[in-house]
Amino acid sequence: MVNKTILILNGPGLAELSAGDDRYGGVTLEQIQDECTALCAELGMKLEFRQTDDQDEMFRWIASDSEHFDALIINPAGYPKSGTANSELFRSAVDMIADTNKPLIEVHLTNIFRQGGERSKPLPGTDGQMGFVCGLGLKSYLLGIKAIAKRLHS
Amino acid sequence: MKVFIINGPNLNLLGTREPAIYGTKTLEEVAEECQAIGAEVGIDIQFRQSNFEGQLVEWIQEAIGTADAIVINAAAYTHTSVAIHDALKSYDGLKIELHISHPHLRESFRHTSYVSPVVDAVVAGLGTNGYIHVVEMLPNLLSKT
Repeated sequence: MVNKTILILNGPGLAELSAGDDRYGGVTLEQIQDECTALCAELGMKLEFRQTDDQDEMFRWIASDSEHFDALIINPAGYPKSGTANSELFRSAVDMIADTNKPLIEVHLTNIFRQGGERSKPLPGTDGQMGFVCGLGLKSYLLGIKAIAKRLHS
Repeated sequence: MKVFIINGPNLNLLGTREPAIYGTKTLEEVAEECQAIGAEVGIDIQFRQSNFEGQLVEWIQEAIGTADAIVINAAAYTHTSVAIHDALKSYDGLKIELHISHPHLRESFRHTSYVSPVVDAVVAGLGTNGYIHVVEMLPNLLSKT
């Protein structure tokens, strides 16, 4: 278990989360990172935590950097709703991860299916190769980390 | 604390039905694991399954005023049941929609959920471990809601 490393990627706008914004649970990205880091340490894993507003950078991270990690958590924020081309790019990037059989989990702070929520769509992909957690605030990330720890364990 | 875990149609066949999608664990085994974790953290887990839509609605209504949270895997009724949607709307406690597979990555008729817009959270695609992870997190979720 030791030496396993999780890569967590955060999409556009997530750096601007603020403690005063109840829509997203009133947490900052720093708080999310701190709690994720603490849980990973507790579970004997290392964590690389990143955020970008730049779509190309996001794809690059998924497509190439992910090979250096044992599992991936993505909060794509509003990406998948913003067009089909986008969706196809995500699909190819996500399929690449899936082909390596590494655990991959999409997370969102809010329930994206609720009216007034982020109104995003789940990332495309293949069933059986991707987990999904939304609506638990920063605990969406923590649940994702626990699920990955259990899978890497077994 | 008391939590209802409500399971819909065909989940009684878990372990034998399409194991490539749903895994080899039976629903009884999942229920036992959930109850064992619940006992450790002081949560009474009421784990139920029915193939009948009306029964699921009655259990949701029973949860009103008696349960601190509902975890619901409405299975195929997820994609058809306005009755379950309406019942869930009447329940004010924490509501989590759970699926073993990831319905949005399957046939298009599974892409619409009448449950998702009326729950707090959705957990999908983590296999039967999804139940375990949700139950493990319940004390944490209930202490702050």
